[in-house]
Amino acid sequence: MSTSDRTTSWQADPQPGVAAPGAWSFPEPTLSTLGNGIELVCFDLPGQHVVSAHLVLDTPLNGEDRDLEGVATIAARTMDEGTQAHPGEEFAELLETEGAGFGIEVSLSGLQAVLDVPASHLERAFELFAEAVTQPQISDADAARHVQIRLAQIEQAYANSAQLASMAFRESVFAPSSRASRMSGGEAASVTRVDGAAARRFHAEHVGPAGASLVLAGDFGGVDPQALAERWFGGWSNDAQVRTPHEQTTPAPRRHVVLHRAGAVQADVRYGGFGIDRSDPRWPAASVATYAMGGAFLSRLNAVLREEKGYTYGVRMSLTPLRSAGSFNIGGSFRTDVVADAVRLAAELADVSDRPFTAAEVADAVTYSTGISPLRYATADGVADQAAVNRLVGLGDDYVTRNLAELRDVTPEAATQAYGSLVHVDALTLVVVGDADVIADPLRALGFDDLEVVRAEG
Amino acid sequence: MTAVAPTPAAYPVSDHVLDNGLRVLVSPDHGAPVVAVNLWYDVGSRDEEPGRTGFAHLFEHVMFQGSANVASGAHIGLLQAAGASVNATTWFDRTNYFETLPVGGLDLALWLEADRMGSLLDALTEENLNTQREVVKEEKRQRYDNVPYGDVMQRLNSLTFPAEHPYGHTTIGSMDDLDAASLEDAHTFFKKHYLPNNAVVSVVGDVTVEHALARVEHYFGGLTAGELPAHPQAGVLGPLDGTQREETSADVPAEAVYLAWRLPARGTRAFDALDLFFSVLGHGQTSRLHRSLVRDAEVAESSGAASTGLIGGNSFGYAYARARGGQELAEVEDALVAQVDRLAAEGPTPTELQRAKAQYERHWLHELSRVDSRADALSEYATLEHDPGLVNTRMAEVDAVGAEDVAAAVAEWFSSDRRATLVYRKASA
Repeated sequence: MSTSDRTTSWQADPQPGVAAPGAWSFPEPTLSTLGNGIELVCFDLPGQHVVSAHLVLDTPLNGEDRDLEGVATIAARTMDEGTQAHPGEEFAELLETEGAGFGIEVSLSGLQAVLDVPASHLERAFELFAEAVTQPQISDADAARHVQIRLAQIEQAYANSAQLASMAFRESVFAPSSRASRMSGGEAASVTRVDGAAARRFHAEHVGPAGASLVLAGDFGGVDPQALAERWFGGWSNDAQVRTPHEQTTPAPRRHVVLHRAGAVQADVRYGGFGIDRSDPRWPAASVATYAMGGAFLSRLNAVLREEKGYTYGVRMSLTPLRSAGSFNIGGSFRTDVVADAVRLAAELADVSDRPFTAAEVADAVTYSTGISPLRYATADGVADQAAVNRLVGLGDDYVTRNLAELRDVTPEAATQAYGSLVHVDALTLVVVGDADVIADPLRALGFDDLEVVRAEG
Repeated sequence: MTAVAPTPAAYPVSDHVLDNGLRVLVSPDHGAPVVAVNLWYDVGSRDEEPGRTGFAHLFEHVMFQGSANVASGAHIGLLQAAGASVNATTWFDRTNYFETLPVGGLDLALWLEADRMGSLLDALTEENLNTQREVVKEEKRQRYDNVPYGDVMQRLNSLTFPAEHPYGHTTIGSMDDLDAASLEDAHTFFKKHYLPNNAVVSVVGDVTVEHALARVEHYFGGLTAGELPAHPQAGVLGPLDGTQREETSADVPAEAVYLAWRLPARGTRAFDALDLFFSVLGHGQTSRLHRSLVRDAEVAESSGAASTGLIGGNSFGYAYARARGGQELAEVEDALVAQVDRLAAEGPTPTELQRAKAQYERHWLHELSRVDSRADALSEYATLEHDPGLVNTRMAEVDAVGAEDVAAAVAEWFSSDRRATLVYRKASA
């Protein structure tokens, strides 16, 4: 091996072409129904040695009492703190000894109990999984502790600039009558009121087999998943279960606000509005447009605000769908002295009336979305996560494959039109978390005359 | 008693070295029509010159600013337009670059990686460097300076290693050093470290060994090797002597206490034993810290412990507890220390050790179930431990750790006076 000046000796081929991607579609599940009506959605994925199970419960958070919001979260967090058969710490010990990971995810549309476990430990872990969901202990002490932990988490969230910006944006863009305007885990005022009795009541009235789906994905290693599901969930019943209709989320009037953080070296910006969900006919075109505007590395926003100006580590535009409606925003952290200029440029770039999306932008967005799908859904938990979301928000089991087909049909005109129907630059809500003493005046100078400045007390 | 399931079939690993020293690992997997391309350069923040902390990471950003045949920013642009997920990371011991995409884009990915390995400096300008310096400073503000407790890792590193030690500073570096970085530094750094014989490339996915190897040879074979740089030799430092203690305050919602330890380097039985020990101490709901501090005594809102495996002589581990409202931090510290000392004295129970291994197994199987993380694991084990076959043997190594190994490692590294302490208080308003 010899040393030479590599910078002058390099000879490269011309840029190679990219061969068309091979055919790919989301795995098709085997569907069946357990004796008690739970729908089983089963994916046999050879080679996936960590099996993933999601029990999707039809418990929308708008079913919580308004003054006890957060009770679903406290119930969910206490469900693996001991069961009637295995009280206290014994339960978690048994589950973790099987190498299992267990948790209950809380989202606006409902709860999901999630188990990940090596296939070789499936039977025993699944038995415990069912126990936590159907017969949890939910003691007063456990609930009280989780209330305190949740209150501490809320404090941590308010102390974090980016989280505070996202919370304030959600609160600004959805009407107060919508559960979506408040944190899924509840705000401090209502969480404080939750106790063991309330958590047990929530479990008794809302957690049951009616409307539930069980998603199983992985290499089951000889175990019959249908029989497994029937064995541990098929006999579950809950006559007291109350079904809650899912809310229609509604918008709030637009708002421009700075939440003051004295001396902050950066400001977190959320600039956007009320949006659509995945069942809206504009969804595929809007997602293509959003990717071109602020999803790709060389998106219109990131190319200027990061790569040209160096104002930020990254700026994104994203759609955040709910079961009904949703939101969109341009978001990023910008250093304090340039934040107003960043907002000015973002507003300018976000207006596409004179610069419609191009055929090249649309083609890149479509290739990207179709290209990353096989990787995203390459593992048991990737497949199960998506299949569970499909159930949770009522999209249909073929959503991914259908959406990819629809994406391929998006034209530049459709992308521009869908984007224009959502994004009216003069009517967007602006939330900025940063040092108001430095940034408020420059923002007002941009034309945000009605800018509110909120200063925390104390 | 064993926690390990019947081992899934071994992953194929085909191991080659090109004439210029580039190590090439290929692992076919025809499960989906995708391929992962992953490069590890054997350079990390431990290799930075004095006064240039953060440079390895800044340089990672520079690597996306174009090369002889690629425009600035086009590396990610072209790959995303081919359906790729793309990124890079810098750590104490490495800088890695990776993309996963439909297999028809394999040539594009290899061409892009070879072009910057061969000709980065042809395209690098002062302006590009300055812009990326600003981007990296924004990254530092966003991830460290503008978040509660964002400086904890830097403080713990400084307590655990001497300032001049390769691990005495974190990867993000300091603002002053980032400001001081020059174009000349970038030239020197590239010529010294970005050599084919200082890199590993792994190709995992819907390819044959012959095809993948031929394409790598085609694009990278023309690159010339250089003199292999030596890593700084810090030797193996013994355990801390217990005198390191720091108190700091900031605008945080809850007070916290952190304990930190020097540990043996990764790739040793002693490190594996201590890694399991940290898992028993502070990972998950059944861990000692969670049970005692969060669940039973209710003095902490959260707690945890983790180890960071490093290759250069020593690794690093820490444990923490964040006080519940109204708790005296001194009491929380006493409770944390009491649990650490108790576990060190009595050792994990057989069930606890089994549980830690079972949890390790699930994470390990999950990690290897994706082509992108499998490619990263191949590059990692080839670069740091010179044995990519560890992807198939690692679980058995961990399973072989016995209670006596844990006891021996704990006795050497972990007795109660062998730690550093960081006390993090609320700033008074």
